[in-house]
Amino acid sequence: MKPIRLSINGRDIEAEVEPRQHLADFVREELLLTGTHLGCEHGVCGACTVLIDGAPARACIAFPVALDGASITTVEGLADDPVTARLREAFMAEHGLQCGFCTPGMLIMARDIVLRLPGADDATIRHELAGNLCRCTGYIGIIRAIRTVAAERARAGEAPVVTRGRAVDAPFHVSPLTLPVTPARLSNADANRPGGSEQAKVASAPFVPETLRNPVELAEEFEVPASRAQVWALFQDPAQVIACLPGARLVAPSDGRTVDAEMVVKLGPIQAAFGGTGVIAADPANWSGTIEGGGVDRRSATRVQARLTYRLDEVDGAKATRVRVEVAYVLQGPLAQMSRGALARDMAARLTAAFANNLTALLRGETVSEQPAPLDAGSLLFSVVKDWLKRLFRRA
Amino acid sequence: MKAARFDYLRPADRAGATVALADGDARPMAGGQSLGPMLNLRLARPGCVVDISRLPELRGFEERPAGILFGAALTHAEFEDGAVPDPTPGFLAQVARGIAYRAVRNRGTIGGSLAHADPAADWPTALAALGAHVHLAGPAGTRELPVEAFILGAFETALVPGEIITGVFVPRRSGQARFGYSKSCRKVGEFAEAMCAVLVDPESGTRRLAIGATEARQVVIADAAAALSNPGGVDDLLRAAGLATDPAAFKLRREIARRAIAALESESMPEGQSA
Repeated sequence: MKPIRLSINGRDIEAEVEPRQHLADFVREELLLTGTHLGCEHGVCGACTVLIDGAPARACIAFPVALDGASITTVEGLADDPVTARLREAFMAEHGLQCGFCTPGMLIMARDIVLRLPGADDATIRHELAGNLCRCTGYIGIIRAIRTVAAERARAGEAPVVTRGRAVDAPFHVSPLTLPVTPARLSNADANRPGGSEQAKVASAPFVPETLRNPVELAEEFEVPASRAQVWALFQDPAQVIACLPGARLVAPSDGRTVDAEMVVKLGPIQAAFGGTGVIAADPANWSGTIEGGGVDRRSATRVQARLTYRLDEVDGAKATRVRVEVAYVLQGPLAQMSRGALARDMAARLTAAFANNLTALLRGETVSEQPAPLDAGSLLFSVVKDWLKRLFRRA
Repeated sequence: MKAARFDYLRPADRAGATVALADGDARPMAGGQSLGPMLNLRLARPGCVVDISRLPELRGFEERPAGILFGAALTHAEFEDGAVPDPTPGFLAQVARGIAYRAVRNRGTIGGSLAHADPAADWPTALAALGAHVHLAGPAGTRELPVEAFILGAFETALVPGEIITGVFVPRRSGQARFGYSKSCRKVGEFAEAMCAVLVDPESGTRRLAIGATEARQVVIADAAAALSNPGGVDDLLRAAGLATDPAAFKLRREIARRAIAALESESMPEGQSA
C-alpha cells in the first residue's frame, strides 16, 4: 500500500492505495463515485473517461499510485459545470443516450470537444469521438448533440480552450453524490509478494500429440560444416537440441524419447514461461525426424502446441550438411488473443533463426552456454544477423 | 481484468531510475497507455513498475542549432497542441493528431511509444522518416541511436536492462520540406494495418521513406529517390522488403505508400504557404 494525495471533484483526499488498483476502481469502490463506468477495462471503450488535471483520460489504465498530487474530475464533479449542463440538455433533445452506459464517458469527451473545437463539424466530431463506444450504436444523436453545443459556442464567439492542465471548478452544491466519501481501508497485512502465489508446480501429464489446427508455419534452411552422421547424432540428443533453443532448458534428464522442458519467452513487456512435455520420433532411413510437444504458461494460462520437423541432406561432397527445420505451432489463450496477426510469427521466426545459429555453433565445436538468455533484446538478433553477413561475405 | 500485483517506485532522478530498473523484474512506465492495457490483461506482469513520467529532464525540450531534443515523457497531446516548438513545418503535430484517441494522447508519451516499439504505432515510423535520433541513458552511461537502429523488431528495441529513453532529437527541416503520412486503420484510432511516411526536403536533398505496420521492424529507405520518381518504385520496394507475399496486404500497403507520396504535393503544405 502506498500513500497518495488527490483532489477528487474539488475535495482533497488522502488514501492508501495498492499500486495495481486502477483509477476507475478507486473512485467507484473506495470513494463510491459510481458515475464512472467500466466497460472493456483495457483502454478501448471510453466508458471510464474522466478528467485528469482537466484533460480526458482513461480511468481504467490510469493508476492512482502514479497520480499523486493530481486533480481528478469524474462525471459527478461536472454537476454544476455550465458546458456540461448545456450538453445534458442537448443529449436529451437529440436522443443522445439510450441505455446510458457510455454516457458518462461521452459527456466528458463531448465537453472536451466543444471546449477545444468550437464550431466542430460532423467529421471532426466523429474523429474526436472515435475512442468512445456506444453499445446501443446511438452515435447519430450523440454527434448531433455535440454539434449543437459546439455551434452555439462558435456563434457566441467562444475561443478554443486548452483543457490540458486546466483546473475544473468544483461543484457549487456539496452533495454526497458528487463528493467522494473518505476512503477507509484496512491494509492487508498478508499481502502476497508480486506474482507470489501462482508459481505452484503443476505435475505435467504425459504428452499425446494432436493434429495442429491452423498452425503458424515457418521453415528455415541452413548449412553446417559437419558430416550428416555428426548432425544426426546431435539431433538424437534432446539435451543438445534444447540447449540450442534460446531460453529453453530441460527440466528433467531425457530418456531420448520424451522431453520435459521449460522455455522462457520475452516479447516487449510480455514474459511467458512455458512448461511442457514432448515426444521425439526419428526416421533414420530418411535422415529426418519430428519433435512434438505442448506446454502451458501458468501465469497467463496460454497453451502452446508445436511440431518441429528436421531433415538432413548431404551437400558439398558429404563434407557439409543442409539442415531443414520446419516449425508449426498453435497458441491458445490470452497470449494468442493479443498476438495481432504476425507478431508472434516475427518472434518465432527469430527463435528459429537463433536455433539455427546455435546449432551451427555447437557443430563447429563452439560452446553454447548451458542456460541461454531468454530471447529479449537486440544482442541475440544482432549476433544472428552478424553471423549471416559474415557467412555471406566469406562466400563472396 | 485487473492487473496482477506489482510494486511501484517513482524515483526522483535519472540515477534513481537506473537503480530501480536494475531489478530485472522491473518495467519503466511513462504514460502507461500501452503498458496499462497489458497490465490489465495480465500479459505483462512485472514485479515492479518504475514511474519515469515525472523525471524533470524527460519533461522538457532543448533547442539546438540542428534541431530540437524533446524530453521522452512529453505527451502526444503536447505535440498536437503545439505546446512544444516544432523543428519541422508542422509535421510533428500532424502525426500526433492521428495517434489513438485524445484521451490516450493526453497521457501517452513519445518516448514510451518508441520504447514499446509496436510496429503499428505512429511515432516509430514517422520519426524514422524524419531522421530522428533516440537518446538513451542507463547503467553504462548515455548513447544515441537513429530510430531505425533503435527498433529491432516487433516490441524489440536496443534498450539494455536498466536503460531508458531520455529524449528524442528531431532534426530541423526547411520551410520547403514536405511530409507525406498515410495509414490505414479499420477504425479511427485503431492499430494501423498499413502505414507509410515520406519526407522530402529540397534544401538538404533529403528523401526518406519509412514503411510501418509490418508486424516486424519498420522498413526505412534513407535515399528513396528511386521509389519517389518511378511509379513502380513502391512495388519494388515492398517486394524487396518481403511485404508482397499476401496479395491483399500488398495492395493495401502499396495504396497507402502511394497516398503518402501523393500527399507530398498537397496535404503536407504548411499553413499559410501556397503551392
